[in-house]
Amino acid sequence: MKRASLLLLVLLSLALPVRGHELGTTKVNATFHRDATYRIDILVDPETLRNRLGILATGARPLPAPAADYQKLIEAQAALFLQQVHVRFDDASSVPRFQYVPLQTRAGAVTATIRLEGSIPAGARTFQFRYALPYAPYLLTVVDEAAPGPPERHWVEGEEMSKQFTLGKRSPPLTRSQTALLYLRLGFTHIIPKGLDHILFVLGIFLLSTSWKSLLSQVTAFTIAHSVTLALTIYGIVSLPSIVVEPAIALSIAYVGFENVVTRTVKPWRIALVFAFGLLHGMGFAGVLGELGIPRSEFVTALIAFNAGVELGQLAVIALAFALVASWSRQKRWYRQRVVIPVSILIGITGLYWMIERSAW
Amino acid sequence: MFLLLLPSAAAAHDFWIEPSTFRPPAKTSVAVRLRVGEHYLGDPVPRKPAAQLIRFDAHAAGGTIQVTGAEGSEPAGSVAVPKGGLTLISYESKPAYVELNEDKLEQYYREEGLEFVRDMRKRSPFAREPWRELFSRCAKSLLMTGSASASGFDHRVGMRLELIPVKNPYANRAGVKLPVRLLYLGKPLAGALVVGIPKSHPDRKVSARSDAAGRVTLKLDQGGEWLIKAVHIAPAPAGARGQWESFWASLTFDLRP
Repeated sequence: MKRASLLLLVLLSLALPVRGHELGTTKVNATFHRDATYRIDILVDPETLRNRLGILATGARPLPAPAADYQKLIEAQAALFLQQVHVRFDDASSVPRFQYVPLQTRAGAVTATIRLEGSIPAGARTFQFRYALPYAPYLLTVVDEAAPGPPERHWVEGEEMSKQFTLGKRSPPLTRSQTALLYLRLGFTHIIPKGLDHILFVLGIFLLSTSWKSLLSQVTAFTIAHSVTLALTIYGIVSLPSIVVEPAIALSIAYVGFENVVTRTVKPWRIALVFAFGLLHGMGFAGVLGELGIPRSEFVTALIAFNAGVELGQLAVIALAFALVASWSRQKRWYRQRVVIPVSILIGITGLYWMIERSAW
Repeated sequence: MFLLLLPSAAAAHDFWIEPSTFRPPAKTSVAVRLRVGEHYLGDPVPRKPAAQLIRFDAHAAGGTIQVTGAEGSEPAGSVAVPKGGLTLISYESKPAYVELNEDKLEQYYREEGLEFVRDMRKRSPFAREPWRELFSRCAKSLLMTGSASASGFDHRVGMRLELIPVKNPYANRAGVKLPVRLLYLGKPLAGALVVGIPKSHPDRKVSARSDAAGRVTLKLDQGGEWLIKAVHIAPAPAGARGQWESFWASLTFDLRP
């Protein structure tokens, strides 16, 4: 109730529409993303909308229907709804995708959002909007991620075109192959040269592997695990705060390092542990990918490409390590004494140091 | 019929009360929804701040009670009905300001039967000024609990423009010739266009002009919900923000088939 009156205060403090009558409950929020996609959320009253669309479709007022059916009935009239909406960039119209998002509000009342999504044409400079269904004037809020400054607000009469909003400059959207290449590179550079912690972890795995088989089994376990959590975290299905993930990744590095000192062979539980650590590293990758941002239009492409880039980076670490020392010294007697143990101890200490550093606020 | 119901660019919109039910069981709570639109099809209107309202109450056998609700909420309020009889909900808002483009005025006069305003404006000192209007909503809704009660349907609330049924709609059924009185500042208003809109067939409107006693008789040939409406325009008091003052009276009820 407090929120509602606050909202009303905010609404009333804005310049009211000059023409038109009562302010209704319709609200329109248009967001223009950096990646040249847009989203327009229209807050609607499902019953009113369903009746309006019913009359448009048949010419007669539709018979009353249970509220639970509104979504189905409105979705069936999506094409008709889109005819009542005009999304305009410069001189061209854009036909958005239609999505009905039901919302539960206070006191169990049902409202809904009609979500319209599409792409901003390359080089578009202005945006105009018309939504012909509301009788009452509505508030149009425009957020442009590519333009500085606060959101713009503007009252629009139901039957009228909004004023023209100026859009910020945005680079043209990437094609699918450009996106794939970009995220492949981002994934790779996240390991080499940026990801010293992941490099040390992979080296730790490599050092204990006396055979291709043990190397392959560890790398496979690690890869599967981090791919799974990278995807799950990016889609918001799982989440752990980075204050937990980052020290835990450091701990995994310390563990692998010190275990290399006390054991000579890859035991089954080592594979299990590497898998578990892989889950953690995946969340770390997701954090980075989340910060880089993913284009909505090429979400899956970017996700797969980034994961593949990470993978290539890790394989490159192994290939380099093999080329540098292991190719000629691995079968030597002193390989374990002079290479594996000192390097593993260094890895372990570094991991411990990071763990303390990352746990400190 | 299709053309009639297209989302039109009407010059001005009707305003009415749409309760969650017109026939609430005894001692239950009814959600009082406000609507703005046309053809008895409207957008929800959230509750205005108390400072913008003259009244939002309900008159029933037990007396007058407030229609309660939080500012900005939709439905705009709720009211508990008594154990039997009629409940008359009234909503009257303080004047709100609006401007109309010149090209909308003719349409406005025609739609609301306000042709006399054209001459009134021509003769006024504001003939060449933009149309600035202060509009007030005067909405009523009649609900019935239990069997038809004889009293209360013609209760005069005292709104500046008020529609008063002369017969009890709940004691009648589809096909009734319903006499309605229109009062402006408590006195009969002659020559006003009174329109009745059945909810199920908003294209089958009925209308008539009020006589010298402010009376019209509308033949309500459909059962179900009805919206009766009338609009009046008068010069605004000197010094007001607009030169014209409009009053939007409405009455909603449910008629047995």
